[in-house]
Order: sequence, then C-alpha cells, then structure tokens
Amino acid sequence: MLMIIRLMIAAMFILTTPWSGLAEVQDESALDIQVREIAKTLRCTVCQTENIWESGAPLAQQMRGVVRDRLKLGHSPEDIKEYFLSRYGDYIMMQPPAHGVNWLLWLGPFILLLGGGLLLYKEVIGWVRRTPANPTAPPPPLDEQARQRLERELES
Amino acid sequence: MNKGTQLTLVLVLLGLFYLFYEGLWGNPRHIPTVLIGTDAPMVEGPDVETGEIISLEQFKGKVVLLNFWASWCYECKVEHESVLELHRLFKDNPNFVMLGVNYQDKLPDAQQYLKEYGTTFAHMRDLKGQLAIDYGVYGVPETFVIDQQGKIRYKYVGPVTGHMYTKITQEIIAPLLKGQPVSTAS
Repeated sequence: MLMIIRLMIAAMFILTTPWSGLAEVQDESALDIQVREIAKTLRCTVCQTENIWESGAPLAQQMRGVVRDRLKLGHSPEDIKEYFLSRYGDYIMMQPPAHGVNWLLWLGPFILLLGGGLLLYKEVIGWVRRTPANPTAPPPPLDEQARQRLERELES
Repeated sequence: MNKGTQLTLVLVLLGLFYLFYEGLWGNPRHIPTVLIGTDAPMVEGPDVETGEIISLEQFKGKVVLLNFWASWCYECKVEHESVLELHRLFKDNPNFVMLGVNYQDKLPDAQQYLKEYGTTFAHMRDLKGQLAIDYGVYGVPETFVIDQQGKIRYKYVGPVTGHMYTKITQEIIAPLLKGQPVSTAS
C-alpha cells in the first residue's frame, strides 16, 4: 500500500512539475517576443538608423528595460510607444507617424523618383535630338586654315 | 520643360536629398524637443554622496535647473566650472534649486569626479537610465530648466558655456525667478 502511495506521489510530481515549468518558460517567451516587437519599432536615439532591439548602446539597453518593465506593469504596446513619443517626439519611431511634415518622408522617395526620372527623360530626349540623324554622312568640309593646320600636324 | 521649371525641380530634389541626409546622418541632438511646456517628470534617485533619496517633488514651486552629467563625459568637464558659477549666481535665491543627475556612471567614478572637480549642489543617480528616458535625454551633458509651476521651460543639449551660459542665466533663469515669460527656443 505504501509503495502504491509513493508511486502515485511520484507520478503526480512527474505529471505536474514539468508542465508548470514549461508554462513559466512560455510566459517569459511571450514577454520577450512582445519586447522585441516593440523594441524593433523604436529608434536608438544615439545610433545611426538602428532600432533599440538591434543596438548595443547603453541607452538602447535601458530603453529595452523600460519596455519590459512597462509590459510587466500591464501597459499596452500602444501605451509604451505613446510614452516614448511623448519623451522624444516622432524621431523615436522607426516609421514616423504619417502626419504634418512627416508626409515628406513618406512621399519624398516617390517625388525623388518621379522628379529624377523626369529630368533623366528630358536629358535623354535632348541627347537623342542632338545626335545627327545619319551618323555615316560625310563631315562638312574643312576650311582652308584648318586643313593647312592639320597637314602641318600630320607632317611633324 | 523650361529652364525655370528645371531649376525648381533640381532645387526641390536637392532639398529632399538634404532632408534625407539630415534624417539619416544628422545629429539627433539638434532635433527640437517635444518636452517644452509639458509637466516635468517628478523623478527621484539616491544622492551620489549620501545615498539619501532626492525627489524632484520636494522642490515644487521653485525654479529647478537639472543638469545631466557623467564622469566619463568630456563635455561635462568642459562645462563644470560654468555650472558651478551658475549655481553661485543663484544659490542665495530661495526660489532656485539646482540638481545634478549622474547618468550611466559607476558610483565610485561619480564620487571621485565630484571630489576632484568640486560641487556645491546635490546630485542624484540615475540607476537604470529611467530618469534620462523620462526627460528624453540623448546624451550628456543636457540641461533642463523647470519653472515654478513644474513645467519644463528650457532644454539645452551640450556644455553650458559662453553664449549658452549667458542665455540660460540672463534670458531663462533670471526672468523665471521674477515670474516673467521666457523664450523657449534653444
């Protein structure tokens, strides 16, 4: 009887312990994923075009810590982004919010492409028009002065 | 497309190139802060020298100058004498408080720095960088002036020397102590 009880206790221990441990690991992973997702949207303010997830700068590490702490406190990702926006402005966002002067950032590349393309098109058309229609046609005759100079240069 | 249109197009493109260059490689310290006119975060931290908790809350109703610094920061050493001079200038005014915030530093290094260069006002430690992030700090030195209503009135990134010393003392702190409005452009 004692043996059976011991076996039951052991079975209960085996059945419960690993699952509870795994649940903790899953919770931690979920938090890590959330931290990563938010950190990837925030710019490291002391780096060049790096987000705070990828940056090794102390400030970026501290910002990741703030993201983690606030998630643990139950803040939503939007609340956390709002907090950073209220401290650093739009510059903190890897993707600046589309409003006001930020529209230049969103539309700028297309304007550059369109404007650059237009200029390039204009130049190419100019080159094509300047090129003689029949390149094999004989060149215009040299005037007397040029012909004499050419002969002198060929003789020397 | 006439010459005028072409020239305008080229200027627009160059302008956009410049903006993108500034955005990607420019110094973020030059970006205007969004904190001016907002409530100053009521931060707190242990005193660098005594370990006692200093809270900004206890200085409500006073003009507060917050100076973020670190012992490893060259520009902080450059401004140190000016900062001490600034404190000497206003320390007798009961409505003025000056606080240092030691940022991303080791305690012995910070203590050694204060011992070596001297100080006449209190400094709190920013243990996890939270204080600096609350104030949208990019690096050190950075200086904030908080008015008697607890609003951030001025922020300057860089050493408070020369022209900036004159501006902060004469155009920011002195008028605030007299209850006059100030220009917030840095």
